[in-house]
Amino acid sequence: MVDALISDEAFIKGCAAVGAGLAVGLAGIGAGAGESGIGAAAVGAIAEDRGFLGLGLLFTVIPETIVIFGLVISFILMFAYG
Amino acid sequence: MISRTKAAYAYIVARTKVMKSRLLKAEDFRKLLNMSFDEIIRFLEETEYRKEIDEVGYKYSGPRLLDYALASNLARTYRKILQVSFGEAKDLIREYLKRWDIWNIINIIRGKNAGVQPEIIEETLVPAGEFGEEYLKSLIVKEVEEIVKEMEGTAYYEALSKIGSAPMNVVEDEMYKAYYRRIVEMPAREFETKLFVNFIKMEIDIRNIKTILRLKIEGSSTEEILERIIPGGYELTEDEARKLAAMSFEEITKSLEGYWFWREVESITEELSEVEVNFDKAWISAIAKRASNYPLSVLPVLQYMVLKKVEVDNLRILGWGKYYGLPNEEIEKQMVIL
Repeated sequence: MVDALISDEAFIKGCAAVGAGLAVGLAGIGAGAGESGIGAAAVGAIAEDRGFLGLGLLFTVIPETIVIFGLVISFILMFAYG
Repeated sequence: MISRTKAAYAYIVARTKVMKSRLLKAEDFRKLLNMSFDEIIRFLEETEYRKEIDEVGYKYSGPRLLDYALASNLARTYRKILQVSFGEAKDLIREYLKRWDIWNIINIIRGKNAGVQPEIIEETLVPAGEFGEEYLKSLIVKEVEEIVKEMEGTAYYEALSKIGSAPMNVVEDEMYKAYYRRIVEMPAREFETKLFVNFIKMEIDIRNIKTILRLKIEGSSTEEILERIIPGGYELTEDEARKLAAMSFEEITKSLEGYWFWREVESITEELSEVEVNFDKAWISAIAKRASNYPLSVLPVLQYMVLKKVEVDNLRILGWGKYYGLPNEEIEKQMVIL
């Protein structure tokens, strides 16, 4: 059915695009879940003492690195097959 | 949903951890022990107690100023914790703070019975429980019978209705029994609620063992001790407490081996202040361990609340002791310094 409608090249390109989207999307959801607790704790600490602003922000963005990995994978996919 | 609950705990735990870092340290207390009463007040003006001392500094002086500042700071701190918490944590903290309703009502009734001026009764109040400051103030101007009537429908009515026929300490004990019963019988479906209930049960253990030993030292009869036992302990069940109450002081200390609190206390002499302080220390170190085992629960918040109460009590002992010129060693013996 697929063979009849699109070429192999287009199919691979499509799969790569979906993969790239999933890589960024799922990494984003994971990072968000991780950040919810850290963010809540950081806001709590900052509310008591403004001195925790820098440290709180730093800890909150640590799970963001996972999204960067996802982004890198998506770039690799897009450059290799896009 | 899971992360939402955890986030609620993360927020309140982080806040109380910062608040905990601002509590007075053991070195501060050692420094305070070498100061005069006025120097202690000046020192406290540089700390969290500044607002309260400034508020009433023009009106009061001496230990009365200290008492008022400490009581209102404690109430403000507890109310703040309740205000900034949410979800299940808030419900549990609210339950915990209801003990201050008993404190306030008993203080009002005792004050009324002794003919104390309303302003002085007002100074002893810690409006951190369910009953707000205004409501408590409205109770102060009422007669004792009216106050009891006002409590109709609450968990304390049954105990309060014994006023007149039973001594006040019995009424107070009954009220605390009603408070603890309600928490111990709480349906602990969630893990966090279970932790809270166990925390309260451990507190009951400490209260019971302190009562047993204190009354033994004072030479009370077994029946008198039994009347004051709070049911629902963690390891020290009511039956075991009954057995202990019938023993002599030496036998009790031997029988305590194996209980969670005895691991911290290990040995004890027949001195009242030692019994109080050592068991308080055992309690504090036990909750510190449990709070670090379950960091995302209500335990670190309760730990802070207990430590804050200990700090306020220490400062009160220190202030009064210094004001009346007690020797440092005597004051230090009464204080719970960690």
